[in-house]
Amino acid sequence: MWTVAFFVLPFVIMGVYSLWKRVGNKLITEFSFGNYENFFAKSFLFESLTNSLEVTLLVTVISILLAYPLAYILAEKVPDRWQRIALIMAILPFWTSYLVRSYSWLLVLSEGGVISNFLLEIGLTTEPISMANNRSATVIGFVHFFVMLLTLTIFANLKQLPKNYRKAAQDLGAGPIRTFIYVILPLTLPGIMVGAFLTFVLCIGDYITPAILGGKRELLMPQTIMLQIERRSDFPTASSLALILMTVVSMVYLACARWLKLDRL
Amino acid sequence: MFKFRNLAAFTYAILLYGFIFLPVVVLVLFSFQESRVPIPPFNGPSLKWYHAFLSDGRVVEALYNSIAVALLSSLVSVILGFLAAYSLARHNIRYSGIIQGLLTAPLTVSYLIIAMGLLITFNTLGIPKSLFTIGIGHVVINLPLCFAIIYSQMGAHQANIERAARDLGANEWQVMGLISVPMLWPALFAAFFLSVTFSWDEFIIAFMVSRFDVTLPVEIWSMLRTGLNPKTNAVGSFVFLVSVVFIFLLDFILFRKIKN
Amino acid sequence: MKFKKQKISGFGKSAAYALVIASLAGAPGNVYAAKELNALVWCDHTDPALIKPFEEKYDVRVNLKEYEGTGAALAIVEQSQPGDWDVFVVDGVDVPGVVESGLLAELPQDQLPINDVFDAVKMEDMTFKDGKMYAIMEKFGYNVISYNKEKVDPADMRDLNTLWSDKYKGRIAVYDYYIPLMNLVALKMGIKPADITADVLPKMKEELFKLKENSVMIGDVVASSTALAVGEADILIGGGEWAVSVLSAEQPELDWVLPDQGGMLWSQSLAVFKDSKNQDLAIEFIKHVMSPEGQAALATSSCFWGMPANQQAKTALTDQQRAALRWEEQAGFQANSHRYFIPNAELDSQMLDVWTEFLQH
Repeated sequence: MWTVAFFVLPFVIMGVYSLWKRVGNKLITEFSFGNYENFFAKSFLFESLTNSLEVTLLVTVISILLAYPLAYILAEKVPDRWQRIALIMAILPFWTSYLVRSYSWLLVLSEGGVISNFLLEIGLTTEPISMANNRSATVIGFVHFFVMLLTLTIFANLKQLPKNYRKAAQDLGAGPIRTFIYVILPLTLPGIMVGAFLTFVLCIGDYITPAILGGKRELLMPQTIMLQIERRSDFPTASSLALILMTVVSMVYLACARWLKLDRL
Repeated sequence: MFKFRNLAAFTYAILLYGFIFLPVVVLVLFSFQESRVPIPPFNGPSLKWYHAFLSDGRVVEALYNSIAVALLSSLVSVILGFLAAYSLARHNIRYSGIIQGLLTAPLTVSYLIIAMGLLITFNTLGIPKSLFTIGIGHVVINLPLCFAIIYSQMGAHQANIERAARDLGANEWQVMGLISVPMLWPALFAAFFLSVTFSWDEFIIAFMVSRFDVTLPVEIWSMLRTGLNPKTNAVGSFVFLVSVVFIFLLDFILFRKIKN
Repeated sequence: MKFKKQKISGFGKSAAYALVIASLAGAPGNVYAAKELNALVWCDHTDPALIKPFEEKYDVRVNLKEYEGTGAALAIVEQSQPGDWDVFVVDGVDVPGVVESGLLAELPQDQLPINDVFDAVKMEDMTFKDGKMYAIMEKFGYNVISYNKEKVDPADMRDLNTLWSDKYKGRIAVYDYYIPLMNLVALKMGIKPADITADVLPKMKEELFKLKENSVMIGDVVASSTALAVGEADILIGGGEWAVSVLSAEQPELDWVLPDQGGMLWSQSLAVFKDSKNQDLAIEFIKHVMSPEGQAALATSSCFWGMPANQQAKTALTDQQRAALRWEEQAGFQANSHRYFIPNAELDSQMLDVWTEFLQH
């Protein structure tokens, strides 16, 4: 009941709204697909989706590449009794507020910020450099968050692998690299996929990180949606954008689910 | 060769930990900044900004609001999640597949979209925005989580004990309250704890469906938008330290319990 | 085996207690003060120096919601219930539109210091309708150019065209408010803001895109002034005293100037919502903000500074503060600046689209 009342109902209303339109400060309750046509006609709306997809894919890939080795090291190289501490340390930073963390990155990355100053000190650069207020800052902010998330999911998966699989592989004459590629990697794919999908969903729908770190040099989908609501209460356009975003996420979800199933066969 | 590989591995781990801790260290360090501009050079230490935020009634109030919303909405989520999981796991309900899908569906939808949907709905229905509406929003996002956790822990083992209790004359409520709940205690607790965490740090829903009674993240957001000062750093560091103490205490207590 | 009924009800009871206690924990907001006043404001009104004295004097709690841009404010009003809001801080030039939509209550002219307001910003054509007053000017300033005089040549800042040249490429921040910024671009193009039509938008878009190539970030009040303060940018177009004066004591190298092409005059006014349930208290609040002390606190608010509309505030400000605000040069500035151009709904929506394209470019 709860889900129906506060989850399904909003979507129905949003669907209806997305077919209406707003002119000036009045709501025209006439059904049309104008908002969806606009999305494809106005390049700046469409671009926010492609921007979002680019950023999200980049973040997902980088996060996996960074997180996998760490999870592997934690699971294999670190003695058991240290693992607990290592994991707790890894998630510790996430107990700062998400907002404050993004803001903190801004201070770290900006010109005159910590990194720039550090590089000046050690003489790596002679000019102050800035990494804030652009896409890479957004990506760094995101990667920071998702590396840990992925480390956890992959770590959990690695720990579940029975030790004797690897022994079996070695007994059959596989070297450590082949064992990894043919045995361990495929077996941890589910963990990677789950983490990657979570990353994708959370990343593509997040407003804060790009809003604080992106410097509005470009707009991502959530920013465009918020603009419609904040600037002129244009719920019809915002609803249509939200539903488009949701469709994209669902498609990715289905693709993931399908791919995982195929893989298992 | 072996040693070198290990060395490389540990260097990598340490570098990544450095990356993870960098913003937090900077945050805490500059919360003690003396001047208004929270960038190097560091001049301090000064407790000025801690004093500023602790004497700011709005921030402290937002802190209370956050605690209340997190606890209450998580309690509701756990109760609803438990009831849903219980009925789906123990009774043959028609369309249970669809219900299960619906219950977990919000997990795959961005918070922003949920927030917007709720905002439009509340507007259409004329429900005024308040802490209560934030709570509703947080239950929407936490219920699926609680349901999934609790449902996954309801095994056949418990079903047998429950059946035994029923055979011994316990009615449905007694079975639930005296058998299932105590047995599922760890799952319930984990679900509650996770819910509190998510609710505590959730921004976009709280931002969109609130008016003046705001939660801490919303208050921080407006602080970021109303002036340049390290008060934000002070609040952030304070919350961080409190949470860390809280986790360690919790971890300590739970760990003890499991051991015993 | 018998089950004890009591235990269950005991469990229910303790759950109920927990609920009550938890909801009490959420209550302090409501018992804090008997009366509440809800105001929709620009962020400069959130400074405790301005609000606290009023709260203490009348034993009320002032709830503030900050917004940027009249469109955003109206969006918030629309997303609320009637009677939710008491006081409205609204841009002077937007008053007629808001009056038109029937949102504002008439103000008692005899109780407010209208005659002390600078003549140039009285804007009676905006705040009066049919002899009734709906708003009073409280604060004003300029959307022009702020810059760091240690990093750029102050002489260059007097010509808007330099911002479009390669000289300061990658050193410019842009204030994210389409009305004043597109007005400034019009000035750069040699068009008076009031003459903006849909026909000039394509050309304006090109100019904006060029500006984008030179810019390092685009941000709201705090983000853009922060960028200037931390050295992320050396020039802020759309900036003014509001972006740099707040740091005038700590960072005197930050300065601002009206370019020769002219500048944009921003202005804020105070109004009361017609549906407000606290009309009297709202009027008292306006009186407080308009008093010399209130005006001084508002002028030097921690979010952004600006000229107080009430001339009597002069003595309540320090010499340093007056210098940072350029109190003595106001006459010349006012002569060379334009009010915001307020487009009709259709043009407004076209301008917003162009602005969004600019952000996305």
